[in-house]
Amino acid sequence: MSIAIVGTGQTVHARRRTDVSQAGLAREAVVEALTDASLTMDDIDSVVVASGPAMFGAVNQPEKWLVDALGARYKPVVRVTSGGGTGLAGALAAMNQIRGGSARRVLVVAYDKLSEGALQASISTLYDPLWGREFAVGIMGFSAAYWHARMKQLGHTEEAAALVAVKNRRNAMRNPKAHVKREVTVQEVLESRPLCWPIKVLDVPPISDGACAIVLAADDDALAITERPAWIHGMAYYSEADNGPDRKMVQSEPLQIAATKVYKSAGITNPFREFDVAELQEPYTCFELSYYESLGFCAEGGAAELIASGETQMEGSLPVNPSGGCLGANPIGATALIRLAEAAMQVTGKAGSHQVPGASRAVAQAGGGWANLRGVAVVGAEKR
Amino acid sequence: MTLSTTRRVAIASSAQTALAPRWSDRQHIDLIAEVVGRTLKGTGIVIDDVDFVIDSGSDFLDGRSISNCGFLGSLGAHHKEESRVEEDGLWALAYASDKIAGGSAEVGLVVAYSKPSEGNVDNYWTGLLEPFIQRPVGLDQHSAAGLVARRYLASAGMDPDDLHDVSRQAWERAEANAGVLTDGAVDQDGFWEDEVASPLRRSDFSRPVDGAVAVLVCRADIAGDVTERPAWITGHGSAIDQHFLAARSWDSLPAAEAAARAAYRMAGDTRPSDYDLIELAATSTVGELMVLEALGFADPFGGIARYREPDGLSVNPSGGALPADPIMATGLVRLHEAASRLMGRPGFETAEARRAVVHGTGGFAMQNHCVLTLEVDE
Repeated sequence: MSIAIVGTGQTVHARRRTDVSQAGLAREAVVEALTDASLTMDDIDSVVVASGPAMFGAVNQPEKWLVDALGARYKPVVRVTSGGGTGLAGALAAMNQIRGGSARRVLVVAYDKLSEGALQASISTLYDPLWGREFAVGIMGFSAAYWHARMKQLGHTEEAAALVAVKNRRNAMRNPKAHVKREVTVQEVLESRPLCWPIKVLDVPPISDGACAIVLAADDDALAITERPAWIHGMAYYSEADNGPDRKMVQSEPLQIAATKVYKSAGITNPFREFDVAELQEPYTCFELSYYESLGFCAEGGAAELIASGETQMEGSLPVNPSGGCLGANPIGATALIRLAEAAMQVTGKAGSHQVPGASRAVAQAGGGWANLRGVAVVGAEKR
Repeated sequence: MTLSTTRRVAIASSAQTALAPRWSDRQHIDLIAEVVGRTLKGTGIVIDDVDFVIDSGSDFLDGRSISNCGFLGSLGAHHKEESRVEEDGLWALAYASDKIAGGSAEVGLVVAYSKPSEGNVDNYWTGLLEPFIQRPVGLDQHSAAGLVARRYLASAGMDPDDLHDVSRQAWERAEANAGVLTDGAVDQDGFWEDEVASPLRRSDFSRPVDGAVAVLVCRADIAGDVTERPAWITGHGSAIDQHFLAARSWDSLPAAEAAARAAYRMAGDTRPSDYDLIELAATSTVGELMVLEALGFADPFGGIARYREPDGLSVNPSGGALPADPIMATGLVRLHEAASRLMGRPGFETAEARRAVVHGTGGFAMQNHCVLTLEVDE
């Protein structure tokens, strides 16, 4: 059985979407995805909701609230959550529903309305309540330590990460849905205010309200819905115990495991050459560099050289984040599904002003938690 | 639309901790590690053989964002596929069942846990409400259940005292269930009389407890190596009602009915009369009656007759969810109870039952429902 993305939708992402409730925000993305697939809710068997940790939006089990706005009464509705990468974990759950025979067409909707909760305070609750939380400063302190370790061990510089900021913020200029549209230079990034060294303000994504939705269907049904399905060649989502004493921090092992599994099912042997475009979920600039290595775009330690070569820019041989990535818009719970939807848009030629010409195979990556939950998906124009 | 299951999925083993009002000397990871270890024990399956872990728990109850993140080690999920289903564990089992039925994996572990004693259960429930209209009017889980009960009792022509038949049976059976620590709850002053939300008394509400439960599922062709008598998952279905309470039916649970319909159909167009054991979850006595009726085991408003004149059908032999409601794990505990009986495990009364229906619920005022059907070979 081959499963495909047959429709995608996204809201306009912004710092505060005061014009809609959380349910209204999710509905906006769902209406666009259903319209893209020329379907209605009557055609949908099951709904998977993915959102950031419920405390981020200060509503417990928010999927229950969405039911009325989505018109999902008496349908299966379940929420899958996995930190920031939750959108991809949700899409994977939806694929399993179709493969397992409990649904034919599944709607996946992911969203976050970060303007309505206390974000970094909620993130700090990730740490152990008895020991650890008193040291916690959201997720930034952890990420800074992570980046610093990579700088020391691999000799990467702050400039390498700044190049990611420059590239992704430039790409976001062409994405009509992006929240932040402002070009920056390497110098501006390096001189921007340090928040938790080496992380500086311009290395950090915005905090956004936004939602994304996709519709999944299989085989002939997918082809009956659209002439151009984005076929899913593989998808996996792996975890790593956050307190594992043998945890290797410089490379992301769960991401390497997920990539190995997905590349095998997708028939990928040389990721850098075989992918036409990549959409990576980079919560801070340094993470995009780390993912280049874990996804096999370059050798371990080679990310600084790869970003400097310009090959991951729009004009390069493997454009990374034509959408602008998280630096363009960062509604956390939605960002992973946005990466998948953007990858699908690229291989079906629907990415508009940020289309990579002729793209036919794309990789999407997602992650969450304490840099310990990691997922990968490969989509292509060809059925596989 | 629902299609028939493409491959058979087996329940190979399951275990639960004792369900207690307060496990103050044990952390979440202790409860989880106990059930993961006990579920694998004696099966020949070791943690490295497990392909994936799906877990159920609540960030709001745990007071932690992405709380599964802190429990991955005890879940045995290190370097495995893992996802959190933030709904009762029965939905996590449905996910695992689909994953195996679709051929994506061979062996999976499903874990649900709950420690409401560490949090504020009332905040958990009111946190489910829409924040602009419903929260400010002071609606809570008790008043909502009271409103539903008033309408149900009126429609059924019943008296609040009639509900004692439901709760008395539940607590008597829980007393006989080694997995539930009843702690003399029914002997406390006012248990049967104190009104919580008219017409419901304390005895009409489920009692939150701490505990964990784990279930090992696997593909049919390896089930025989793991257990002599696997229980087969033959069908599952779920359905949700609207969130806005005033938009729902007051005296019936059409979402539970829709969930059961989907499960019965997947099981091969079965009917309620094909089943001889039910384990169902409810947050109140009236909720339990409404589930029985929605699942087709009683006529509308006729559920109470099952408690007065029992027939061959076994309903909640474990005592059900009223004496022990480990929120987010309650439905999966029902599954463990039903599967253990079908499989004839030591410590569980050996009934003649061969086919079981298991029900779980989630959300404010039982908005969401999941039904799963099981059977063992003759």
